[in-house]
Order: sequence, then C-alpha cells, then structure tokens
Amino acid sequence: MNTSLANRLTPYMFLAPAAAILLIALLYPLGYVFYAGFLNWNPSQRIGQAEFVGLRNYINLFHDESFRESFFVTLRFSAIVVSLEMFIGVGLAFLLDRNIRGMSALRTLFILPMMISPIVVGLMWRYMYHPTVGFFNRTLKSLGFEPMPWLLDGDWAFASVIIADVWQWVPFIFILSLAALQTLPQSVMEAARIDGANGWQSILYIKLPLMMPVLVITFLLRLIDSFKVLEVILVLTNGGPGLSTEVMALRIMRTATEFRELGVAAAMSNILLMMLLLLTVAMFLYNKATEMRAMRLKNIAAEEA
Amino acid sequence: MKHFRTLVCSTGMALAATATFAGNPYEPYAGTTIVVNFPTTPHFNAVMKVLPEFTKETGINVEVDQLQYLKMRERQTLELTKDVGDYDLISYVVFSKADYVFADQLDNLAKYFMNPKLADPHYDANDLIDGYVANIGIVGGEKGYLPGKTGSLYGLPFGSETSILGYRKDIFEKHGLKVPETYEELLDLACKIPQLEPGMGGLSSRAASGHHATHAFLLHLAPLGGRIFDDNWNPIMNNEAGVAAATALKTIVDCGPEGSQTFGFAEAGAAFLQGKTAMFLDSTQFAGQVNDPAKSTVVGKVGWAMHPMGVRRGSETGGFGIAIPKNAQNKEAAFLLMQWLTSKHGDKLVTMAGGNPVRFSTHADPEVNAKYPYMSQFGEALKYADPNWRPIIPVWGKINADLGTTLSKVLTEDLDIQEALDGVAERTRATMEQAGYYTWQ
Repeated sequence: MNTSLANRLTPYMFLAPAAAILLIALLYPLGYVFYAGFLNWNPSQRIGQAEFVGLRNYINLFHDESFRESFFVTLRFSAIVVSLEMFIGVGLAFLLDRNIRGMSALRTLFILPMMISPIVVGLMWRYMYHPTVGFFNRTLKSLGFEPMPWLLDGDWAFASVIIADVWQWVPFIFILSLAALQTLPQSVMEAARIDGANGWQSILYIKLPLMMPVLVITFLLRLIDSFKVLEVILVLTNGGPGLSTEVMALRIMRTATEFRELGVAAAMSNILLMMLLLLTVAMFLYNKATEMRAMRLKNIAAEEA
Repeated sequence: MKHFRTLVCSTGMALAATATFAGNPYEPYAGTTIVVNFPTTPHFNAVMKVLPEFTKETGINVEVDQLQYLKMRERQTLELTKDVGDYDLISYVVFSKADYVFADQLDNLAKYFMNPKLADPHYDANDLIDGYVANIGIVGGEKGYLPGKTGSLYGLPFGSETSILGYRKDIFEKHGLKVPETYEELLDLACKIPQLEPGMGGLSSRAASGHHATHAFLLHLAPLGGRIFDDNWNPIMNNEAGVAAATALKTIVDCGPEGSQTFGFAEAGAAFLQGKTAMFLDSTQFAGQVNDPAKSTVVGKVGWAMHPMGVRRGSETGGFGIAIPKNAQNKEAAFLLMQWLTSKHGDKLVTMAGGNPVRFSTHADPEVNAKYPYMSQFGEALKYADPNWRPIIPVWGKINADLGTTLSKVLTEDLDIQEALDGVAERTRATMEQAGYYTWQ
C-alpha cells in the first residue's frame, strides 16, 4: 500500500522543484504585473500603498490618443518589418544555399548585424542618418542629389527605423531558413529534378512547403520580438518626431519613468501581452490544423495504397 | 548604468586631529563616513575635486555614488522608500522636488538651521540666488511648489543653472550686428544670419520630440508673458503668449542649423561649438565648454548676454539641488557637508574647479571672474531668474511629454500652432482633473 503510494508520488516529487521554480519565476511576476494594472501606483510608493482603481487604467488607455497612436505605430512597424525580413531573409537563404568558394565566410559576414548590441546599432544608424555629416546625405550630396530628411520628418523617420531593424534582423531569418534548407531530404529534390521541375518550381512546390514548419516558428519569433522592439528606436529617434516612431515598448518605458505611472505602464504591458498571446495561440492553432491535414492526407494515401 | 563608486579617502582622521582648536563644530563628526549620491555632470565632477578639501577641513569622510543623472531618479526612488537608507545626502533634479516632498521622503531643513551646534552663523543665506532657492529648495508655498507664507525649505540649490544667450563676437562684429536685447531683435537676427553667412544657422535650440521641445518652448514662454497654468490651474499654454512662444520656437528652428528639428541639448550645443550657428540660448551649464579647445572650434570668439526680454525678463531656473533623505543615517554630518558646499568658501572652491556657483557673491568675485570672465554677466542675468517658468507638480512629466511631442509635430509636420496647443490644453485639463486639481472648483 505504502510502496504503491510512494511509487505514485515519485514522479510528482521529481517534478516539484521544477514546478516550484516555474511558479516563483514565471507566475509570480506575471501575477504582479497583472495586479499592478489595477493600481494608481507612483514609483515613490510601495505596491501596498498604491490605490486600487479597478479598470480605470484600461479605460483611460482606451481613450488616450497617444496610446492609440503608439499601438498603431507598433502594428504597422511589426507588419512591415516582419514581412520585409521574411522576404529578404528567405530569399537570401535560397541564394546562398550552394557550394561556392568562401561561402562560409560570407555566411558569417551576413549574420554579423545580429550580433551587435541594439544600442550600438541605434547609434551607428543615427550617425549614418545625420542630416549633414551622415554617410547617406554626404553620399547623396556628392552624387549631386538633394539630401533626405532621414530622421527629421515623421514618415522618413518611420522608414529609417524600419531600414535599421531590417538590416539587423534579416540575418536571423536567413540563418534559420538556411539551416532548414540544408536539412531538406535530398531524395525529394532528386525526385523533383527527375520529374523535370525547374528551379522556381522546386522552390515553390518542394522547398518552401517542406520548410514551412521552421518558417512559421521563425515568423512567430520575429513577430513577438518586433512587438517589443525598444533600444534601436530609443537611440535613433526616441519616438519622434511627434509620435511617429513611438512604439508601445517605448511608450511603456516613458510611462513608467517619465510620467511615473507604474499602474498605467503595467496595464499597457498587459495589453501587449494579450496581443502577443493571441498571436501565439493563432499560430499554434494554424500549426495544429496543418499537422492534422498532413496526417489526414497521409492516412488517405496509406488507405489508397 | 554608468555607476562607479569613489571613495574620497580618509586622510581626514589624521588631519582632523590637527584641528583641535577650541570650538571646532566638526569635531563630533570627525571620522564619520557619509554616503552621497551625485550625478556625473560637469558641476559635480568639479565637486569631486573639492571634496578632499572638505575632508581635510572637517575630518568627515565622503563616499560618492556618482550616477548618470537620468539614472539617479530610479536609484533614489528605491533608496528613499527603504526603512533605513544608504544615502545621507542626495542631489536631485529640480522636478523631483515635488514628488519627494509629497511622498514625505526629505527632511525639512529648519531643524538643522535652528540647531546652534550645526548652523554656521556666517552662512549668509541671503546671498544665495533667490530664483534658485525658490525653484529648487522651497516647497509648500504658492501653488505648492513655490515660496510663500506656507512654504519651507527642503533642499539647497547646488549645480543649478539658468538660461543665457551665447553669441559669436566675430560674426556680430563682421556684419555690424547688435546683440539682441528683445525677442523681436532675437528672432529677426536668427533668420538674418543665415542670409549673411550662408551655411550658418541663426540660433541653435533644442527641438527633439518630448522633453527637449518642451524645454525650448518654455524658455520663450516666460519672457513672452505666458505660463502653463493660471492661478486656478487652468491650462493657458494655448493663449496668445503660448502661440507667440511656439511661433518663436518654430522660427528659430526653421532658421537654425541643418537638422535642428531633432536636436537635443547636446546636439544644439555641439552645433554652436562647431561654428555652425551664430547664437545659442540655453543653460549656463554649457558655458564651461566653449573655451575648451578639445571640444570647441570657437575658442575666444564667444560673448555672453542676458536672455532677451519679451514683455518681461524671465530666464529659466533648473538643474540640481541637494537634500537630506528622511531615512538617512548620518543626517547631521550630511547637513554639515551641504552647508559647507553651499557656503561662500565652498561655493568658490567648486566654481574655481569648474562648477556653477549658487551665490551672488561668487558670481561677482574678482578671482572667479579672472578665471571665468563671463561669471559677473551670469550673476546679473540671475537677478531675473524666474522660479515659476515651469510648473513642478507630480503630473508634469505627462504634460511635459505631451507638449513636447505635439510641439515636435508643429516643427516637423507643420501642424497648426493654435490647434496643436488647444489639443495640449484639453488633454492637460483631463490630466489635471484626474489628479484632483479641480476638486475645489
């Protein structure tokens, strides 16, 4: 009796430390932020002294034009950078998936931007965008063109920020896509070649579908990351001109440090978290659905055979 | 982030023993080590050079936790909420004054100044610059953040600054220009200079979205007769004076050096130091750099004048103050350091080492003027320093940011000025309403 009870409990006992760590390290801070979202909390107060205001922070945010603007800036930014990065990154992977001399050096070179600290990336680009002494405007001037208002105008600043982000994060997608490409089964490629598929056909109908699971995960990781982008924009434009590049992470930071409204900042973080959670769940469901479909096709194929 | 500790070492003990003459007020505290939190600004870097002298004279050791000034707030917020704090003396940015006092985290200085064993009868508080004391030290009077019959002292100005006009003497002489005394002349010159000197901007101003744009706007608002709030906390930054100030800012930025629209304090200063603009209107803190050949290409070419006058004189007041946290462990020794640093003796030592004086007498001191010839001019300008050029209330951070991003839209996207300021006024009203400023209306 005792032995069987002990036997049944053993797995839970082994799980207990991990569960405890998970609870403390993951759920406690999450709960803290969730709770803080309902408080009127100033950094000079301890959390216990803060006033409970219910949903006021969320309602205020809903009516707050600046927050709405930064919400849409973030959406726009994420949609554009992730699409561009996926397109360029996967494209580069197809281009460089071959045996040319010096390819390994080239690959290393390509992933360098990803290794640089975001603050440095921000500073670097800020100097390159500088209206008078920056690389871009000097080059344009020496070629006889008019200098561009890189960071001086709302739309240009938004584009500049996108260029810097794409430059930094294309390598991430490139390296993962390349890894996926190189692990594709050679037998399938050979079969396609024998059946007379040309380069484009083998990419569109063979390689891309086979790479899809990796691409979906890559896409998701980048999407989540792009929603939380902060440092590069902080250094490049600090959200300006106006609110044209003020993404949500920056707004959250300013709310906590400049406006000293920790409760509102927590509420914003929760909204961001919810958005990301929804995206992740949607992606997960999509994955599940494609898996089911593949399984069904397999079963049908097996039955037909 | 940039965080390093410096121990101003303790030669003090031995030296203090030599100061055994009767009635040494520092004697009971000799050997005490106090911990202070200072920013890494030029003024406080100068203070670092002077602290060994304090230790030598008093026997009190000082350990300095020097932080980048924007990081200080975060650290202090943590420290001040503890039961027993690690800091005995803190330096605070002026807009922290309201928050710290409201959260009951600073000691009222009355009990120190009335303690005969601590207060130096030769301190001469009347010599301290009025605008600075009003702006940085006193809380609880008019509007809560200004002096008045109900106000009292919580900190002393130290590392404070006002606004001053720097101009290129050579350029002004070359074209026979008159140094502007009024806003009309200033704005006229700002746009005339780019025509006279192609490639050179008129006046470099900060304008970057957020805090910088607001600061630049406020610099013009007070002299042009405006305020952010009226006496009943109604936002009035959108009245005629407000529009005039925003228009002035736009004119200055449009006629400024290339890229002005996104200048922060550092970029605006750099443009002047690199000779890309003929005038500079901002903090006196900047003055130390113009004659440093390592940083400046305009050594010896810069003259200084008072912040031009609009309908009234009103230069800014800001920078830092020093105060004793409520949870400090060595409050009396901290007060002695505070008093020493802002005394005539300490103020002069710090100024000679490159700091910004807080006393009229130091500004007028011949020795100081021999080294820094512009000081007497600054002292004159400080008589008109306006302690109320910017409201110091807890919700200011939010209004500051909104005003700054909206002004940035005016500067970069040609948003209509009146419309922009009306929007700010409306949102400010909502913020003030929620913060309870209209409870009695």
